[in-house]
Amino acid sequence: MIKRETAREPLDTTTEIETPEHVRFRYHVAGPAKRALAYLVDGVVRTGVVFFAVCIAGMAGLVSGDTFSHASTGFLLLLYFVMEWGYYVFFETLWSGLTPGKRALSLRVVTDGGHPLRFVDSLLRNLLRSADFLPSVGFFGLYGVGLVAMGRDARFRRLGDLAAGTIVIMEERQHVSGRLRLDPPPTPAELHGLPQRLPLSGDELDAVELFLRRSGKLSAAREDELAQLVAPIFARRIGARYRDASRFLALLHHRAHEHREKKAG
Amino acid sequence: MKGQRSQDDFVAARTGEWRELDQLVAGGDAIHGKDGAAISRAAALYRSLCTDLMRCRAAHYTPDLGGYLDALAGRAHSTLYGAQPFRAPGLVALFARDFPRALRANWRLFAISCALFYVPFAIGLLGSLASDEFALRVLPAPALEAMAHAYSKGFDAGRDAGTNTGMAGFYVYNNVGIAFRCFATGVLFGTGSLFFLVYNGLFTGTAVGYVMSAGHGGNIWTFMCGHAPFELTAIVIAGGAGLQMGYALVDTGGLTRVGSLRRAAPAITRQILGAATMLLIAALIEGFWSPSSLPAPVKWSASGVLTVLVALYLVLAGRGGAEDAARDRRRADDRAEPSAS
Repeated sequence: MIKRETAREPLDTTTEIETPEHVRFRYHVAGPAKRALAYLVDGVVRTGVVFFAVCIAGMAGLVSGDTFSHASTGFLLLLYFVMEWGYYVFFETLWSGLTPGKRALSLRVVTDGGHPLRFVDSLLRNLLRSADFLPSVGFFGLYGVGLVAMGRDARFRRLGDLAAGTIVIMEERQHVSGRLRLDPPPTPAELHGLPQRLPLSGDELDAVELFLRRSGKLSAAREDELAQLVAPIFARRIGARYRDASRFLALLHHRAHEHREKKAG
Repeated sequence: MKGQRSQDDFVAARTGEWRELDQLVAGGDAIHGKDGAAISRAAALYRSLCTDLMRCRAAHYTPDLGGYLDALAGRAHSTLYGAQPFRAPGLVALFARDFPRALRANWRLFAISCALFYVPFAIGLLGSLASDEFALRVLPAPALEAMAHAYSKGFDAGRDAGTNTGMAGFYVYNNVGIAFRCFATGVLFGTGSLFFLVYNGLFTGTAVGYVMSAGHGGNIWTFMCGHAPFELTAIVIAGGAGLQMGYALVDTGGLTRVGSLRRAAPAITRQILGAATMLLIAALIEGFWSPSSLPAPVKWSASGVLTVLVALYLVLAGRGGAEDAARDRRRADDRAEPSAS
């Protein structure tokens, strides 16, 4: 039974979560690149705070004539300690899974059940950061261990995430885009060979739509290459011929939606 | 078919509520600060959004609409089920009960951690007492010279408050950092904890032995006796917690490795929180009490009292009927688990 569940999961960087309302929705899991950027932003914030404190302490030392006294060195080390070990736990607990860096990149840490992070979860995942960030060069972690762990996991969890039962998700806003329009508009001759009711499943039409929405960002050759992967299969099923694979898929999409509108209207 | 609308009609009818919900959860984490009406409105909108999401999937509306609704539902879910407030009773229960219990429940790995720290400590101590050459092989000469010099003076003069504060900061940074690394690297199948325990034990023992053979043994022991019961115990507890992570990865009890680690995680977190608190206490003692000019007998009696208190706390705190009941329940859970999964 468990096996069948996994087989049905799409091969994508998403994870499905069931809420207390018994609604399932999907989160996009954040990959290493986005997380590294968030880490860099947090690194800049942490370094900035320490640098600022060093400047203050230095100025205070100049005024009192005792540059970097023992006491101010102690406070600086304490601050450094807090920035190294407490920064992430503090923000993730306070902001429910966000740090300034994660906020900047629209990432959030949640438990793998989709629930908000608790203090102890955050503590464990961030203590284990010092294992994930090995091997390190001085104070700069290379995150080799973390990367290997993430690469082996379908939800990009580093060791700290695995132990604490957390995942990092993307929370970006998406927009409902307008209806796809065929450019140039289809001619009756082009549509002539297509049946009114296409023998394509909903998933197949979704895939076609996703392809058409992306096609503007692809080079012409790549667009054609991708379209060639499915166009012959659909053409054989329908019994139609085509010249331009991408255009053929666009026509299929047009026909399917024309049909759906008629039915609804 | 009833309820089958075109996507455009559906979006047109519902988009007002989606926008409203989007605005309510836009703050990300500020839902607690809003007034009651806004919160219940957000909850109602979230529930109807869930219905919309189901309808969108069932009717096979376009993927971008599904993506938009998924993302909005995700953000609303994170906001509405936001972080639990921080509760003080949990903290009290941790120190009064949960931390010593978790430690006692894992006493075997704690004992191994003690051995991994104190055996190299004894080897370093005896080795450098026997010959300076041993100490010089373990630690670089300048570090040893500095140590011997630092303890040559005694504590008659005490230290000024500024230096005390400075050193307390250093001890927090250095010692708590050591303990945390000692713990965290245990997730690499225990190897990191093993390494750091032996490494720190050997270095500490060697340094103490070298200072003793230079003739300042009384000074260093009198300095160390106050904070050692907290500091060394806490480092060993942290190392033991790291070994527990490694052990959970090896002896999985029929679970997956990750599942086994997750099962061990609560007890491990309790121990590391306890160890961190002990290290903060140790840093305060080491910064302000240990270097003070108080006579050695006072420091030694204080050390004796603290050692007994720490031992009594770790052995006795949180004992009683409740613990036995909890253990029985845990055992019952363990037995039930394989058949349930």
